[in-house]
Amino acid sequence: MSHDRPTLLLADDDPTIADSLAPFLERAGFHVLVVSDGASALDKAQKHRPDLIILDVLMPRMDGRETLRRLRKAGLWTPTILLTQVGEASERALALEEGADDYLNKPFDPHELLARVRAVLRRARPGERSLSTAWLLTAENLVLDRRARRAALDGKPLELTPKALAVLEHLMTHPNEAVSRDHLLEVVWGWEYPAGTRTVDTRVAELRRALNDDPAEPRFIETISGEGYRFIATVRGEG
Amino acid sequence: MFTLRALRNWLVWVGLPMGGGLIVAFLARFLLPVNFPFLISIDMGFSGIVFGMSIRNPWLVGFLFGFFATLLILSLRWWDRRHIAQTQTLYADYLQKERENRRDFMRRLDHEIKNPLTGLRAALVNLKEGKTEEERLQAVGNANRAVGRLIRLLTDLRKLSELEERTIERYPVNVPELLEDVATAARVNPAYEKREINLLIPKVPSPFPLITGDPDLLLLAVYNLVENALKFTSENDSIEVRLLEDGRAIIIEVADTGPGIPPEDLPKIFEELYRGSNARSTEGSGLGLALVNRIAALHGGGVGVRSSQTDPRGTVFTLRLPRR
Repeated sequence: MSHDRPTLLLADDDPTIADSLAPFLERAGFHVLVVSDGASALDKAQKHRPDLIILDVLMPRMDGRETLRRLRKAGLWTPTILLTQVGEASERALALEEGADDYLNKPFDPHELLARVRAVLRRARPGERSLSTAWLLTAENLVLDRRARRAALDGKPLELTPKALAVLEHLMTHPNEAVSRDHLLEVVWGWEYPAGTRTVDTRVAELRRALNDDPAEPRFIETISGEGYRFIATVRGEG
Repeated sequence: MFTLRALRNWLVWVGLPMGGGLIVAFLARFLLPVNFPFLISIDMGFSGIVFGMSIRNPWLVGFLFGFFATLLILSLRWWDRRHIAQTQTLYADYLQKERENRRDFMRRLDHEIKNPLTGLRAALVNLKEGKTEEERLQAVGNANRAVGRLIRLLTDLRKLSELEERTIERYPVNVPELLEDVATAARVNPAYEKREINLLIPKVPSPFPLITGDPDLLLLAVYNLVENALKFTSENDSIEVRLLEDGRAIIIEVADTGPGIPPEDLPKIFEELYRGSNARSTEGSGLGLALVNRIAALHGGGVGVRSSQTDPRGTVFTLRLPRR
C-alpha cells in the first residue's frame, strides 16, 4: 500500500475517541488506520509499516505498553506516541522505558495531538531509533545518563534538582525544537497551573548556572522570547 | 438485685478466684515439699506487726496465692477487653465518619459533573438546531467552557490524589521571592489584569529566613489562596498578601475586603468539593482550598481562616509553615 500522505496507525478501544480523531487527522492530511486493540495494532504495524503509531495505554487483548515493547523487540522503530491515562511521573518514566517517542495525557486538545504528530515526524529518521528512546545523550561536553538520572559536564557530575534534570532531559530529546513553557510544565511537572511558567524559568536558570551557559550567548539552551526554550547543541544518542 | 448478669458477675469475680485458690492449694500441698519456704507462712505486713498475725496454715497460704493470682489474671483480662471495646467504638465512629465524608464527596462530585454535562448537552442541541452562524459559534463556545470545567475538576482531583502518595521535595525556599512570583502570575491572568495585590514583605530581619519545602507546591498553595481572594472580590476591594515570622514558623496571610464567608460555612470550606452558599456560581473546581490544606499539612504546617460579613468586613486566610 503506498500513499503520498503519511500513514498514521491509531489504536484506541474507545469508539468515541477513535471515531472523532480519525476524521480530524484525515482532514489534517494524514492517511489514518484505526484499530481497537493492541494485538491488531501490532499486526497492522508490521503489515502496513505506518509512518507513526498513536497508541492508547489501556486497551483490551494487549495494552499499549506491551504492544510497544513487542514492536521494539521485533526491531520496528516506528515513531510512537503513547496516550497515557494519568499524568504521573512514574507513567512517564515507563513510557520512556518502553521506547515511546512522545506521550500525551488524556484529555488532550486534538490540535495538541496534531502538533506532536508533526513534531515527531519531523524529528524521525526512517528506520533509526529516535533520541527519545536512547538512554545516553551526549551534546558537546555534556552527557546525560537517563537511566542513572545523572548529568555530567566534562566528566564532572552536575548537582541538579530532579525537576531541572527532567527539563534538561526533555530539551535534549527534542533538540532544535521550540519547547513552550506550558509544554515543559505538562511534561515535567505533570500538571499545569497558572503560576507554573515562572517555575519553569527558575529551573532553566538553575540549569544554565550548572551548565555555565550564558543566556546572551548560549551554547546549550536558547531562550525564544514569547515562546519558550530551545536546545541548540547537536545531540547524539546511544543505548 | 438478683439478675442473671449479677449471678454471672459473682461467679466470675468470686467463684473463679475461689476455684483457682482451691486448685493451687491442692496442687501446692501435693506437688511441693512440706517445708517449701513460700508455703509455710504469709506475714501480714503492717497488720501482722500490729496484731501479731501471720498465716501459718499451708492450705490457707496456697489458697490465698491461688485466689489472688486468679483475680489478677481476671482483672488483666477485663482491662484488656475494655480497652479493645473502646478502640472498636473509636474505629466504628471513624468508619462512620469516613462513610459520611465519602457520601458527601460523591454527592458533591455528582453535582460538579452533572452541571457541565447538562451545559454540554444543551450546547450540542443548540449546535444542531442553531439557525445562524452566530448561534452555532456561541454553542461551540459554551461547549468548550463546559469541557474546560470538567477538565479543571479532573486535574485538581488528580493533584489531590497524587499529593496523598507523593513524598514532597525539600529545598530551601525563599518565601518573599515566591510571593512576588504569585503576584506576577496573578497579574498575568487576563481576568485579573486590573486588580491590585498589595504585597507586605518585612525588611527586617534581612534576609527573610528561608524555609524548607517543595517550592512548586508552596507556590500552588499561595496562588490558590490569592486566586480565591480575587474570585470572591470585586474591583473596588483590596487584597493584601502579608508575610510574617515568629521565630518558629513563617506566616503568610492573604486578606481581602470581600463579602466574607457565612459563619456556618467556615468550618467546611477546606473540605473537598464543598461550596459555600455564596460560592455556588463561582468558577473553579471546588478543590482549591482542599489542595492548600493538604499542601500545608505535607509541610508540617496548617491553614486557617477568619472572616466577617459585618464591618470590619473581609476574609483572612493564614498559611503557617514551620521553619526548620
